[in-house]
Amino acid sequence: MRALLKLFSPGLWLVLLMAVASTVLVALLPVRPSRGMQMWVFDANHFKIATTIAAGWNREHPDTPVEVKQVTGAAIQTRMLSAFYSGTPVADLIEVERSMIGQVFAGPVADIGFVDLTERLDREGLRSQINEPSFSPWTSRGHVFGLPHDVHPVMLAYRADLVEAAGIDMSKIETWDDYFRVLRPLMVDLDGDGRPDRYLLNSSPNTLFYHEVLLLQSGGRLFDESNHPTLNQPRNAHIIAQLATWYTGPNQVAAEAPVGGISSLQLIRQGYVIGMLAPDWFAGFIRLSFPDMAGKFKFRPLPAWEKGGRRTSVLGGTMLGITKASRNQEAAWAFAKRLYLSADSAKLLYEVDGIVTPIKANWHLPFFDRPDPFFCNLPMGRMFLQLAPDVPVRPSSPYYVLTQQLLSSVVIRLCQYADEHHTWTAAGLEPEAQRLLDEAQAKVEAQINRNTFLRDAR
Amino acid sequence: MSLPSHRPLLRPGTLVIYALLGFFGLLTLMPFFWMICASLKTPADFFSSQFLPPGDGLFGVGWDRLSLAQYVRLFRELPVPRAMLNSIFLASVGSVFATLFCAAGGYALAKFKFPGRELITTLILGTVVLPAALLLSPKFETLFHLHLVDHYLGIFLPAAAPAFGLYLFRQSMVNSVPADIIESARIDGCGEVRIFFTIVLPLIRPMISAYLVIVFIALWNDFITPQIVLQSPELQPLPLVIFELKGLYGAEYSMIMAGTLVSIAPVMFLFLLLQREFISGLTSGAVKG
Repeated sequence: MRALLKLFSPGLWLVLLMAVASTVLVALLPVRPSRGMQMWVFDANHFKIATTIAAGWNREHPDTPVEVKQVTGAAIQTRMLSAFYSGTPVADLIEVERSMIGQVFAGPVADIGFVDLTERLDREGLRSQINEPSFSPWTSRGHVFGLPHDVHPVMLAYRADLVEAAGIDMSKIETWDDYFRVLRPLMVDLDGDGRPDRYLLNSSPNTLFYHEVLLLQSGGRLFDESNHPTLNQPRNAHIIAQLATWYTGPNQVAAEAPVGGISSLQLIRQGYVIGMLAPDWFAGFIRLSFPDMAGKFKFRPLPAWEKGGRRTSVLGGTMLGITKASRNQEAAWAFAKRLYLSADSAKLLYEVDGIVTPIKANWHLPFFDRPDPFFCNLPMGRMFLQLAPDVPVRPSSPYYVLTQQLLSSVVIRLCQYADEHHTWTAAGLEPEAQRLLDEAQAKVEAQINRNTFLRDAR
Repeated sequence: MSLPSHRPLLRPGTLVIYALLGFFGLLTLMPFFWMICASLKTPADFFSSQFLPPGDGLFGVGWDRLSLAQYVRLFRELPVPRAMLNSIFLASVGSVFATLFCAAGGYALAKFKFPGRELITTLILGTVVLPAALLLSPKFETLFHLHLVDHYLGIFLPAAAPAFGLYLFRQSMVNSVPADIIESARIDGCGEVRIFFTIVLPLIRPMISAYLVIVFIALWNDFITPQIVLQSPELQPLPLVIFELKGLYGAEYSMIMAGTLVSIAPVMFLFLLLQREFISGLTSGAVKG
């Protein structure tokens, strides 16, 4: 026995012991078999909402129960695409985030793995009940493949404590030019190193999302209604030339505290960025991330690009789709409506995530008017809902993510050009912006032309 | 008769080296210390201080604001105990199988002569350069056709004999196991299985420990394969459960830090147990001519 023990090290014997013991325990512990319709969600808060609604549904519909599972976004994407391409197992209902949907729409319409909801929506009169722009990311070649989860209007979130301490009156601000002019005194060098320790807007050339948010607000766009790329339209060149002057040079006013990272939370807390492009979910993010900072943030509509211009934009998005593999599509559709269209789900969505529903019939609900003590008693829900009809349309192209990356790359190169040539005016940068966008447009078109299905459809 | 020479315990040079090593050691431990502090803070205190929250207590620390609440919530609100058992099961059984099969495969490639041996060795070496992400989709589809999706075997089977391990053991056998010993054993009537377990494996003991730790850590930390293959919540290991704490719209970082500490503690313990052999396994053959 001693000879046997000496054969290997104590650590190795420990691993062997762990292997045997855990095998016995795993064999003894039961694994509950999946029951009823399966639904995958990618976010913990969505999971809370869906399980709450599903509990009620399961009581009322014991024959078609729903089981909700939280699955990470990357896993949903891999499993979903594998299922659609090769018939591997998949849930009956899947919540899909905007960045995941493009690949689903890459093939022929008839082969898209989600059930086409267009006819159902029209037949049941649901299309007119839902905020129209919310359908756009889930519509491919005229067919709707998902129920929209949200509207995601964008407002300007700002550090009210710092702004008000400086005696600045935000109510007079109408345009971005006003915003940067009025708030400029806040860009101070606190530690005496010769560089500002505060910037006026949370954005930078490297960001993937904010350029598009600002482009969409201004009337620019990455794709047209038929998902043809419009990256190089003159309006885009005009706007990104303007953005480059915000990001670099002597008049730099923006810097990034990239949302999602732990370091950004510290930067936002320190007041490194005064203003942030903030969709409705961002209010929930602030509340969760800075529980001790009640009363320090306020929201207001975005400053417009021109007087009388659009005061909002859009960022993010989620849909609920029914897979063609579902053996009970009618029940899945009924549950999807219960989850997304009902007044109690609208309330949960707002209370858990701060997200306003796209269902117009629910916009009158009184909880949207409730003053929010965390945000200086602003009626946050109502403020976002007032902007909902103005939210711009988002593309659903499979090449959306690529285009977004190319746009970011164009802005980075434009800033580099500005620094190298000491050209820091929008008018001076516009020709170069146009040239770079033309290059990027050609790259996107080359990719799209390789896709037979989309090329022929166009 | 000469008096014993009195050498100082620590010469100035050694002292400087120890001081430097101590400094860098502390520097390495700093993130772990930060993580421990972060896991004990409330969400409100998370960003208010670098390490421990300031207060009126000893050393100016607000000791009363530290609590184990995040750990309690972790075990109450999430299926952490089951996930931990799954992680231990996947990592221990998977690493034992992988070590055994790689050692056996490496032994065959190093010490047996059979047709196609060189070709097989080259093919195995060739697969080392393939990125794991590239194989994800084909692996998933193969597992589906084998009815191994949502099954522990779907994790064990692809990890049973990785190319890197096979080649590592082959090289180890070539360097550390003399052919004469194997020949002598055969002449004495020893069977092949007995030769492998009683002669070959003890000779490469450091490599076994090193590889076992490498595979154990890799399987323990594996995130992508279990999230694709294991679909039932009851089967999922710790990294997946911890990841669910990070929502799309924000995260409770104190909970994430508590979860991360819980997930790294067993691996650290195992590494401490096996560190001597791990290092000797990694350096074995390093000075051979």
